[in-house]
Amino acid sequence: MQNAKDTFYEVMKSRLAALDPDRTIVVRGATRPAILVEANELALEDPLPDCFRLRWLGVTVDAQSALPLVTQRCEIAYETAGTAINSGMDRGRILSALDADLAQIVNAAPQSAVKTNYAGLAFGQPAVAMKTNVWWSDVAFGAVTQSGATLARTATVDVMSYQEAGEL
Amino acid sequence: MADLLQQGEAALRQADALLRANGGRAVLLRMPAPPASGNEGEALGLATPQFQEVELTPAVFRKANSTATLLVSASAVKAIVGSLAFDSAAVLFATAAGIDIDGVIYTVDSVVSEQAMGTAYCYSVKLRPS
Repeated sequence: MQNAKDTFYEVMKSRLAALDPDRTIVVRGATRPAILVEANELALEDPLPDCFRLRWLGVTVDAQSALPLVTQRCEIAYETAGTAINSGMDRGRILSALDADLAQIVNAAPQSAVKTNYAGLAFGQPAVAMKTNVWWSDVAFGAVTQSGATLARTATVDVMSYQEAGEL
Repeated sequence: MADLLQQGEAALRQADALLRANGGRAVLLRMPAPPASGNEGEALGLATPQFQEVELTPAVFRKANSTATLLVSASAVKAIVGSLAFDSAAVLFATAAGIDIDGVIYTVDSVVSEQAMGTAYCYSVKLRPS
C-alpha cells in the first residue's frame, strides 16, 4: 500500500513540476513543487497555502482476485488567500488556477504508472520498479469553503493497485 | 519618533534586566535543519530531518499543573530571527520543532509578543509537553 501511495505522489509531483514550474513551496529552506504528503512532513498548526496537501483516508481490499486489489482514497486539500500585492482580491482566480493544475495532473493520460518501491532511498539506493501498476480515478472536486479571506477546497482521488507478495 | 524608539529600546533593556534578575536561564529552541540536497527520501517520510538547537537567553520558565509558559527576551529572539534569516519571530516559533527545557521537549502552543511603544520587549510562549 505504501508503495502505491509513494508512486502516486511522485507521479503527481513530477507532473506538477512539468506543468507549472513556478508553482513551488519552500519547506525548511528547500524549494520544491507545491505538493506534499502531510503525514511525511513536520506537523504544522497552519497549513501551507497555495500548495496541494495529500492525505490518505480509507482503504478497501478486495481479496477475490489473484492478487488483492487495494483501493485507497487520497484527499487533496489546498487553499489560498490570494497574493499580497493584490490585497488578496485575486484569491478566486488563484483557486481556479489551482483547480486547473490539479485537474490536469490527475486526469492527464495515462492515469497509471508502474508501481515503484522507494524504500531504498533511505539508504542511498535507487528506487526499484515493481511488477504491477498503480492507477487512479478522475479527480472529484468538493465545494469551496471560505474562512476569512481564505478560500479552500478539498478534492478526492481513488488510487488502485494490486498488493504484491511481501509488499508493505 | 526618536523618543519613541528610545523608550522602546529602554523597555527592551529593562525586560532583559528583569528576566536576568528573575532566573535568567537559557533554553534551547529546536529548529529543523534544511533538507539534504537531493534527498528525496524526506518528502516520502523515509528520512527525518536533522535538528539544530539554538540557545535562547535570558528566559524565565513558569510551570503550573496544566500550563507552562516561557518568557523570553525579545533581543534574544531578534538575534536568532536575523541570524537564521526568518521573516519574523512568529515564523521562527511556528517553524520550531519544540523547545528543550532541562531535557524535556515542549511544543509551542501560542506566542504573544509583549510590546512597548511598538517595540517587542518580551515574548510569552505557551508550551505543552510533547
